[in-house]
Amino acid sequence: MATTSAPMIAFRDVGKTYPKTTAPVMTGVDLEIQRGELVALIGPSGCGKSTLLNLLAGLTDATTGTIDVAGSAGTDELRSAYVFQNPRLLPWRSVLRNVEFGLEQAGVPGAERRRRANEALELVHLHEHGDKYPHQLSGGMQQRAALARGLALEPDLLLLDEPFGALDALTRGYLQEELLSIVRRFGTTTLLVTHDIDEALLLADRIVVMSSRPARIKRVVTVPFGRERALDSVLAHPQFVPLRHEIRELLRPEVAASDPTVEAGAPEVLSS
Amino acid sequence: MSTHIEAGGRLAHPDGGDPGGPAGSPRDPRRRGGRAAQSAPSGARSRVRRWIRPARVVLAALVILLAWNLAAPHYPGYVLPAPIDVWTSFTSTWSRGVWIEEVWATLQHLLLAFGIVLVAGLPLGIVIGRSTIAEDLSRVVLVFLQTVPTIVLIALALVVAGASTSSVVGVTVAGSITYFLLNVIQGTRAIDQDLVDMARAYRASEGAIMRTVVLPAVVPYFLAGARITLGVAWQITLFAEYLMGAEGIGFQVSSAIKLLDTKAVFMWGLSVVAMTLVLEYGAFRPAERRLTRHVKKG
Repeated sequence: MATTSAPMIAFRDVGKTYPKTTAPVMTGVDLEIQRGELVALIGPSGCGKSTLLNLLAGLTDATTGTIDVAGSAGTDELRSAYVFQNPRLLPWRSVLRNVEFGLEQAGVPGAERRRRANEALELVHLHEHGDKYPHQLSGGMQQRAALARGLALEPDLLLLDEPFGALDALTRGYLQEELLSIVRRFGTTTLLVTHDIDEALLLADRIVVMSSRPARIKRVVTVPFGRERALDSVLAHPQFVPLRHEIRELLRPEVAASDPTVEAGAPEVLSS
Repeated sequence: MSTHIEAGGRLAHPDGGDPGGPAGSPRDPRRRGGRAAQSAPSGARSRVRRWIRPARVVLAALVILLAWNLAAPHYPGYVLPAPIDVWTSFTSTWSRGVWIEEVWATLQHLLLAFGIVLVAGLPLGIVIGRSTIAEDLSRVVLVFLQTVPTIVLIALALVVAGASTSSVVGVTVAGSITYFLLNVIQGTRAIDQDLVDMARAYRASEGAIMRTVVLPAVVPYFLAGARITLGVAWQITLFAEYLMGAEGIGFQVSSAIKLLDTKAVFMWGLSVVAMTLVLEYGAFRPAERRLTRHVKKG
């Protein structure tokens, strides 16, 4: 990933303090993300990883520092999609109409919108459920529909906030592979918030390890498995276990600091 | 005078009960029960089951009618007229064209006021629900409208506009709008902020957020508020007509009771009950079904 072109996203000394609080959730974050790169953010829960995504999505503003996107200030020209931890589907819309939501806001005309939404539903194996309402789907299916809503947009920037957390292991593995191939095919710049070290290693080009509150970047780990990877070959790679161990050791004191009930010796949350 | 008010009060009650009666929201468990009964196992038994509850309701109505018919001969006609006399009162009023005329006058008052409440109340309620500034500025007026006696509104309207259609409509709007507003405000506050953030993240404009997130989320509250408001509006419209002497059912009741024509009072009362049921099953229930198709049902 040693590209010399200007980064797509650059955080420069970004800090965030929420109104009516004194303690910052994030301080001094410097991070550059290249076009087409898949970066995983990993850290203890509640450390402000999601805040980073919210800043990029324009849902909140940085208190200090600047965020440059695609070389300009502001994110409005950029087509970005956000897949949240929970599905956030509109209950009064059918699944298909929910998947069309982002396309609709981007001004994509009706027929094309429908076609692309159907394709996205096919990718997440929900094409037979397009006419149903969200409450008629299981939680995992709803989350897949939310993923389809993001993918249908074919975004320049894909923000994923623990999108596979609610899924069973089989579906998760399948969707991780699917996601990887889509992101590679379209060259989508992707930020993935996760607390699953294996998931980060399987998917990311680089892994950003965050500290507990206030969130700072503790270390950026470059993943050496190459861009075209099959998940099985990653697991068999000689570097996999050492890297996994390294990241766990980096996170161990952070998890203990963020949750005093966790003994420093056994951060169970991180062993998947 | 006291007899007039008593009669008015009695008349007001059956309609007044209505806002409580059908207050069932789209999630009313009774409706779910009804659906469950319909989707019960097929066959003769389920067909019997489907009719047993409506049959009980009809049975109760027949028992009351019978009891009324048996009791009527023991009282003078100006206290308890017989059912047949009430019916005759209806047919004669109908054949003179008076029934339609007076009902139409009242419906005009009622539906005009109801329309104003819905059209003005929806945007107002959403603005108040979303902005604390609007909430603070409107509080005095809302509290006033909620607590001021209807009789005072009627007196003020008589001074300002006399016994006219606009007086009746104005009093009805002023007296019923808070019931609608409070529902819409509550619905606006209950909107899931996660969904608004989702829409923002997908670059929805404020207008698009209003159309795709806020309005659909408010629909159940809109319906519940509209239903309560219609019940209250019936009551206030009739009350205003009665006291102002404006044309309509209320005035007919006041004239009838002055002549001790109690069967006409019964007839007008039952007419209002019938119209309320027609509005409920002819307009409200179908609109509700259409607007809440996505809601989880049993």
